[in-house]
Amino acid sequence: MTERNGENGRITRRQLLKAGALVGGGALLGQAGRLLASAQEVAQSPAVQYPLAQAENQLYSSCLMCNTGCGIKVKVLDGVAAKIDGNPYNPFNLVPHVSYKTAPHQVAGVDAPLCPKGQAGLLSVYDPYRLRVVLKRAGPRGSNKWRTIPFDQAVREIVDGGKLFADIGEDRHVPGLRELWALRDPKVAKEMDAFVRRIRAEKDPAKKQALVREFQQTFRDHLHTLIDPDHPDLGPKNNQFLYFWGRQKAGRTEFARRFVQESFGSVNFHGHTTVCQGSLYFACKAMSEQYEFDEKDGKMKWTKGRKFYWQADTEHSEFVVFVGASPFEGNYGPTNRVPRLTEGLATGRLKFAVVDPRLSKTAAKAWKWIPARPGTEGALALAVIRWILDHQRYDARYLRNANKAAAEEDGEPTWCNATWLVKLEKGRPEGFLRASDLGLPVQKRSQEVKGKRVEYEFDPFVVLRDGRPVPFDPYDEQNPVEGDLLVDTTLNGIRVKSGLQLLGEEARRHSLQEWAEICGVRAEDIEELAREFTSHGKRAAADIHRGVSQHTNGFYNVWAWMTLNVLIGNLDWKGGMASAKVYDPSGEKEGQPFNLKELHPKRTTPFGVSIIRHETKYEESTLFRGYPAKRPWYPLSSDVYQEIVPSIGDAYPYPIKIAFLYMGSPAYSLPAGHTTIEVLKDPNKLPLFVAVDITVGETSMYADYILPDLSYLERWEFQGSHPNMTVKVQPVRQPVIPPVPETVRVFGEEMPISLEAFLLACAERLGLPGFGKDGFGPGQDLRRPEDFYLKMVANVAAGDRPGDAVPDASDEEVRLFLQARRHLPKSVFDPEKWKRAVGEAWWRKVVYVLNRGGRFQEYQKAFKGEQLANQYGTLVSIYSEKVAKTKNSMTGKPFPGLPAYIPAPRDALDRPVEDEKAGYDLHLITYREVSHTKSRTGTNYWLLALLPENFVLVHRQDAERLGLKDGDLVRVTSASNPDGMWPVLDGHSKPMVGRVRVTEGIRPGVVAFSLGHGHWAYGSVDLVIDGKVLKGDARRGRGIHANAAMRVDPVLKNVCLSDPAGASAVFYDTRVKLVREAS
Amino acid sequence: MEGGERALATQTRESRSGRRRFLKTLGAGAATLLALEVLESTARPAEAAPAAPPAALPAERPQEDVLLRMQRDLQRALRKPAHLRRWAMVIDLRKCVGCSACTIACVAENKLPPGVVYRPVVDEEIGTYPHVTRRFLPRPCMQCDNPPCVPVCPVNATYKRADGIVAINYDQCIGCRYCIVACPYNARTFDAGEHYTDGTPGRSPVEEVPNFEYGKPWKREGDASPVGNARKCHFCLHRLEAGMLPECVTSCIGRATYFGDAEDPEALVSELMHRPNAVRLKEELGTKPRVYYLL
Repeated sequence: MTERNGENGRITRRQLLKAGALVGGGALLGQAGRLLASAQEVAQSPAVQYPLAQAENQLYSSCLMCNTGCGIKVKVLDGVAAKIDGNPYNPFNLVPHVSYKTAPHQVAGVDAPLCPKGQAGLLSVYDPYRLRVVLKRAGPRGSNKWRTIPFDQAVREIVDGGKLFADIGEDRHVPGLRELWALRDPKVAKEMDAFVRRIRAEKDPAKKQALVREFQQTFRDHLHTLIDPDHPDLGPKNNQFLYFWGRQKAGRTEFARRFVQESFGSVNFHGHTTVCQGSLYFACKAMSEQYEFDEKDGKMKWTKGRKFYWQADTEHSEFVVFVGASPFEGNYGPTNRVPRLTEGLATGRLKFAVVDPRLSKTAAKAWKWIPARPGTEGALALAVIRWILDHQRYDARYLRNANKAAAEEDGEPTWCNATWLVKLEKGRPEGFLRASDLGLPVQKRSQEVKGKRVEYEFDPFVVLRDGRPVPFDPYDEQNPVEGDLLVDTTLNGIRVKSGLQLLGEEARRHSLQEWAEICGVRAEDIEELAREFTSHGKRAAADIHRGVSQHTNGFYNVWAWMTLNVLIGNLDWKGGMASAKVYDPSGEKEGQPFNLKELHPKRTTPFGVSIIRHETKYEESTLFRGYPAKRPWYPLSSDVYQEIVPSIGDAYPYPIKIAFLYMGSPAYSLPAGHTTIEVLKDPNKLPLFVAVDITVGETSMYADYILPDLSYLERWEFQGSHPNMTVKVQPVRQPVIPPVPETVRVFGEEMPISLEAFLLACAERLGLPGFGKDGFGPGQDLRRPEDFYLKMVANVAAGDRPGDAVPDASDEEVRLFLQARRHLPKSVFDPEKWKRAVGEAWWRKVVYVLNRGGRFQEYQKAFKGEQLANQYGTLVSIYSEKVAKTKNSMTGKPFPGLPAYIPAPRDALDRPVEDEKAGYDLHLITYREVSHTKSRTGTNYWLLALLPENFVLVHRQDAERLGLKDGDLVRVTSASNPDGMWPVLDGHSKPMVGRVRVTEGIRPGVVAFSLGHGHWAYGSVDLVIDGKVLKGDARRGRGIHANAAMRVDPVLKNVCLSDPAGASAVFYDTRVKLVREAS
Repeated sequence: MEGGERALATQTRESRSGRRRFLKTLGAGAATLLALEVLESTARPAEAAPAAPPAALPAERPQEDVLLRMQRDLQRALRKPAHLRRWAMVIDLRKCVGCSACTIACVAENKLPPGVVYRPVVDEEIGTYPHVTRRFLPRPCMQCDNPPCVPVCPVNATYKRADGIVAINYDQCIGCRYCIVACPYNARTFDAGEHYTDGTPGRSPVEEVPNFEYGKPWKREGDASPVGNARKCHFCLHRLEAGMLPECVTSCIGRATYFGDAEDPEALVSELMHRPNAVRLKEELGTKPRVYYLL
């Protein structure tokens, strides 16, 4: 039915050899797609002078050169992606984007904007150093010696284990997956999980011990499946299998979670959030907690906080303060954010301030650049809060609303707890005052849970209204309750204060002048900033990012800045703060055809504390032995990336035996990432380490096996959205070029080696439920990646409620769909199999979505009057009793329950780190060049042409003091890395040396380098594969990557400094020296 | 390879003296803003080729991205006889964020090798801490109405078209580089036949795909053109003829680059190039650029 050329898109070994692209015995690839035919073939006819403009040569997808994931239009010539532009259907690219109803032929000639990284994606996809086949190490870990092995052998060895490295003299047994798949009965797992909850909830140590004994008795036949029967809360041995990743989007997340958690039953499934902006996510999670009935606990509690954050709707703002954020370079831009700002600048609609120690490209266009001292962002916010409170410039009408009904009366989509009364215990604010504290009645409520009626209590919160206490329900839609803003009184013998009162007290700990001195800025600038911020009603916003969160005080810095947005009541208003909304691909919404979680014949419940001890309290664990804990616990956060490898190293709380790393490079990306190398290269600490990577990277070089993966132009994913995008979207990433890796057979199906092929093959060999024949249930197989992903596309097509489905693709669109994929081999595109995956009923809707690169709401529907249509729409907290009642596991002290300034940096025991006293006189920060994305762009030759190497930015005054000039080579050293070295291999270190660029555009005393350069793997060095040398390209290793200079925590000694509350890995609190090198 | 890299890299960061030159130019700048001298059309192969029907556009809506408005302007111009169009570009420096999307998009569109760049963006730092800023200046070929590169060509390979574009006939160019020296804007570079993936395990297929400059496919193989030629920006003539805006315009995330027919009073560029804040580079040389900057 398609006009497929049998040869198209197939890469044969013969062709590769002919092309001279093979070195090292067939491991690496420089060619993809059919070698080009003569150009005349594509452009012979005078009517087709420009084949790239034809819809038949275009496919829409989603970029991943950075995580913004803008829409892309990939133009294909003879099976090769020849050009990438932006997708006009996608609001990340055009403002406004074209109507979703537009036929693809009508936008074939419309190219939408795309940033330089996106434009250069072709060079990353067709990188000559990409892997095609599986590598197994042929020397010690990290030795860069490899041999190529068949895919099936790799799967067999990883699943079965054994003496896998006997041939290179390692006489040790390596555990396979089968050995760790200990607890296989979902019913037992569920019962154990419920019992462990009881153990955790028991506060009395003796009773806790008794419960453990009872557990052992109850599950006496299954104790061998546990890591440690004396500590059942560690969970089953299954947890000793870890899967972690750097960048994994929806689709692959659900696929991998199905394997790791729902089928295999391990809790250890962790992302990288804390290396990006953990404290930003987790402070906003704390702010978005809701007080609701929890089915599992059978009572009301603070729950459902969203791991998310807000960003400004800059398209309508009149004033924005960007703090530690550069939307022209990063900050979930630039393609989407820049046009929404530059239009405002040119028309005079918008002005903005930038708080950043470095003069970023954004700061260059700012009304005011405030180069505050790094780490004092929270102090600056409190200074602004103080000024606003002193001058009563807050939105009092908004802040007074204590519940939903009051907010609705004012037409406000959200409300906050500024007026709620907080009890003081020995002078310290802790829990909220409740009706029962005043002898007022508690409400009896009940709810249906799985067919049973559960009774529970609701003890109302209380505000003071005109001096009298008023109990209320925050979600009451009938009875509006407003409260007095500033309260400091005693009720029924209990000292209480309102949230706003407590905030004011934090802000008044210093005068404006004192705050200015802490921040190293002028008090006048703070005042002007505060005045401007409060001069535009709801069309002003504080938009913050990594510069605020990646400090030891990140959580509280973030909370303070976000609270400023609450003070002017700008949430869900045009020009104020927005949150992301997506079409959900999971199938859990009503009207969606495929609920992937439910479509599982034997889904299990993973349980037990994770290796990173996330979202769990140390005090509740059976490991609790007083303070400090051996390593920190993170009750308020998750995906604590920097804790994964060091915790493996310390085997705390238990040893990990097998780790899969997908698209991640902790050694390169983490602050003090060099500390991970010590662990990763030691098979005694981590017996089996498997990486899924596109090439031999800075971390995968330490793996036992590397499975080649598909690039973003060859695979499926659901990119989701970002908070600055006011339009509801779901960009779909789909295969647009023939796969580069070799084709293998799994479950009887041909497919390219990839993350999916690897997991499917492991599942096949293990006999893991949820995959293969009847993998979704009787008669529904999961043999191919598309069986899974196309169901997700169908869910997106269905929309989030009945009646929300997209139209069917017309015959013409179906024809185009097939025609535009004529270059794809059957291993990734078989129309009959695709159709079977979703059924006739959904097929044309799936085609409609894929023809447009995803689903995008109409532009007009994103707004209603002065408000955003896609709303957050509920309670937001400036005070959190949940946080106030949570303890730091290292000190035993509770965390503050509201925004506060905590000087940085501090170590794991909450003691100041003062390396400046040891002569480390410069403050190191990092930044993003617009042309780079951390570890994966520094080897892209087009982008390297813009910036062959990065620099160490030094202020002129510092340069003069140190006798440095432009172009001088300097080594970056710190108290925890006094030699300034990357310990890459035994006996081989890479010095952290970079070229100085002297600038006026940085705060004196601060030095900076941009992320992305300075590689020591990724094709920059020679590899030995099957005994032959594959030459590296030195261009790929130029410049400096100074993460290894970042401060190692003096207490823990094998991890960077971290924020104890929000778990951010700390990038910006290290003091360094610059040591001149001979040029 | 090294040389090629350097060429691209240095062009994206100019010296302070370069900045001073630019500022001086701006100071002198309010002179002639327009030079619409219509040159006599010379029949050339690329101009004579029959144009394909322009790309379809979605139905017009009251609110749409400025790129669509300009593409409609462009397609209106294409409906006129060719000699009545006069392409012009306006770059709003207030909206340029120095991202270099245009630089790379142009490299990708025209499959430019190391050392060849049509549209660098200059990033300059101005001032003293804390009163300091940066200015970004994209610098395409100015498509001068009085182009210094044309008369120096010994073989008439470079020529001025009726629509304002200064073009190169690759088949005729002998690679003498006189034009490269003559251009006061450093708009021309030489194709020395290098590839970005030289010296790696294999050449990237992207570097083997043809480009479509001047409306025909060009593959860089051996010594065949455009290898050995002078090369420069041509406002993406091949895209214009397909009814599409130049790649530097469509890729511009700041919407800083405007393009259209200066002879069409309804076109957005006609309006912008007459704004009081419009200037051209090095007016004093009398080159009469067709690229305007808004300050």
